[in-house]
Amino acid sequence: MTSESFLSVENATRRFAGLVAVDTVTFRIGRGEILSMIGPNGAGKTTMFNLITGQLSLSDGAIVFGGEQIGKLPPHVRAQRGMGRTFQIAKPFIGLTTRENVMVGAFQRNRRFAEAFDRANAVLAEVGLESRADVSAGELTLSERRRLEIARALALSPELILLDEVMAGLNATEVNEVIDLIQRLNARGMTFLVIEHNLKVVRAVSGRVIVLDHGVKIAEGTATEVLSDPTVVKAYLGKRAE
Amino acid sequence: MLGQYVGLLLLACAPLGLMWNDPYWINILAYAYLFGALAAAWNIIGGFGGQFSLGHGVFFAIGAYTVARLYLDLGLTPWLGIFPAAALATLVAVLISWPTFRLRGPFFAIATMAINEACFALANYTDRLTGGPRGILVPFRAGFSNMIFIERWKYALLTFGFMSITVLITVLLRRSRLGHYLLAVREDEDAARAAGIDVLKVKLLGMALSAALTGAGGGIFAMYVRVLDPPTLFSLPDVGVKFALISLIGGIGTVMGPVVGALLIVPVENFLRGALGGEVPGGHLIILGIILVGASLFLKRGIVGAFTIALRRIRDRRHS
Repeated sequence: MTSESFLSVENATRRFAGLVAVDTVTFRIGRGEILSMIGPNGAGKTTMFNLITGQLSLSDGAIVFGGEQIGKLPPHVRAQRGMGRTFQIAKPFIGLTTRENVMVGAFQRNRRFAEAFDRANAVLAEVGLESRADVSAGELTLSERRRLEIARALALSPELILLDEVMAGLNATEVNEVIDLIQRLNARGMTFLVIEHNLKVVRAVSGRVIVLDHGVKIAEGTATEVLSDPTVVKAYLGKRAE
Repeated sequence: MLGQYVGLLLLACAPLGLMWNDPYWINILAYAYLFGALAAAWNIIGGFGGQFSLGHGVFFAIGAYTVARLYLDLGLTPWLGIFPAAALATLVAVLISWPTFRLRGPFFAIATMAINEACFALANYTDRLTGGPRGILVPFRAGFSNMIFIERWKYALLTFGFMSITVLITVLLRRSRLGHYLLAVREDEDAARAAGIDVLKVKLLGMALSAALTGAGGGIFAMYVRVLDPPTLFSLPDVGVKFALISLIGGIGTVMGPVVGALLIVPVENFLRGALGGEVPGGHLIILGIILVGASLFLKRGIVGAFTIALRRIRDRRHS
């Protein structure tokens, strides 16, 4: 671990009726770190995300963020405490312009219109959407929608950003742009928790990786370590990784 | 930005200047302005907030009864009476909305409609407050402080003033933090929460503002018609549903949509009622229904939405 733990998930468990979607999972993220979470479909990655951000409540276990128990707080309070997130299926506010979407996030820390407007413009420039500011968010391409989701999270001025498969459906150039963005933000101290299927991305951005399978954490370590672990290869890749 | 809306309001004022001496049209115009204001108030929670209330008749009736009772029992001028009326409507709105905002989409609409019907029944039983089924009659005593006028154009000027205030509040709201939050809640509640928005609180604030303006409008309506009975105040086709209908046709979730809708629908309805009333009673409702179906099928953001899109196309063509 690079520094003291900043987000720590302790024995997190979530049951849906008979199914245990997340089963006593424990991990920690240090400040300024990028942690990737990988695993096959249905492994419980998005459920784990929703437990951290508060969209779902814990059946058991605890979550500590910035030294504080947050496991029982509603999602909007966790966002106010500094957690930004994207959704696996992008959820832009389609009736609003791109800038207005980002302003919704920016209003969290800037109460006045002019301040939120300026903050939104700065964030749009950061993610490369400034030329699309006045377009309705419904008209954005998939890659632009993904960047808009990141922008909306960034506008909150969070300390931790959770990215849920932001690369899905993007072409190689677009993937590289988003990797660049993540690395740039990380260089300035932003902490990330990333769900990702694209192993190239996982290798490129992430210091540590945890692997979930059937709701259980089956491995943790550097990208290289984890991707050569026979248990992971069996559960996740089905065959030896090249 | 603000100047653009002031210009549009002046345009809406033009018929008042042209027809001030024609009692038939000025009456229709006074109604159109009042319902433009009431639809704009509904639009705050129904259009921006996306909470399709059909129970705004309750706040409208509370405003009307409060202004009339304070005027008749305590001699309070309606100019001041509209403030307690707005406050009481807000209080009731928050109490009703707290449980019903847990419901989404059509379930919320049905629940608010049911509350409207329950309050209608209640108003019939509370004789001492509402005059029961016979209603309240406000005697005609003309005078500025009574908000009762001999000249009809003064009513039209009054309702126009109220509409202008409501529209200006909407313009400011649209640019504000609460305005952005209401739109975000309408579009996606989960994404709104992830952006740090307390969804229930934002809905309640939007509903409070909407109900306050609706209550004030009900008070003005009370002094205009001066006969207040439950079937008039709680009517679904003429009150609760009409606010929504006007907004849908004019442009739901747009600033000027409710005004445009009211200036179109109120005169058309009056004309149809006069033309069809004798031969086909209720025929005007059938035609209004057809207009509504047409608008919801072909005009996603009403007349104002269609106009904005057309304007953008022309601009784009000029640029390219």
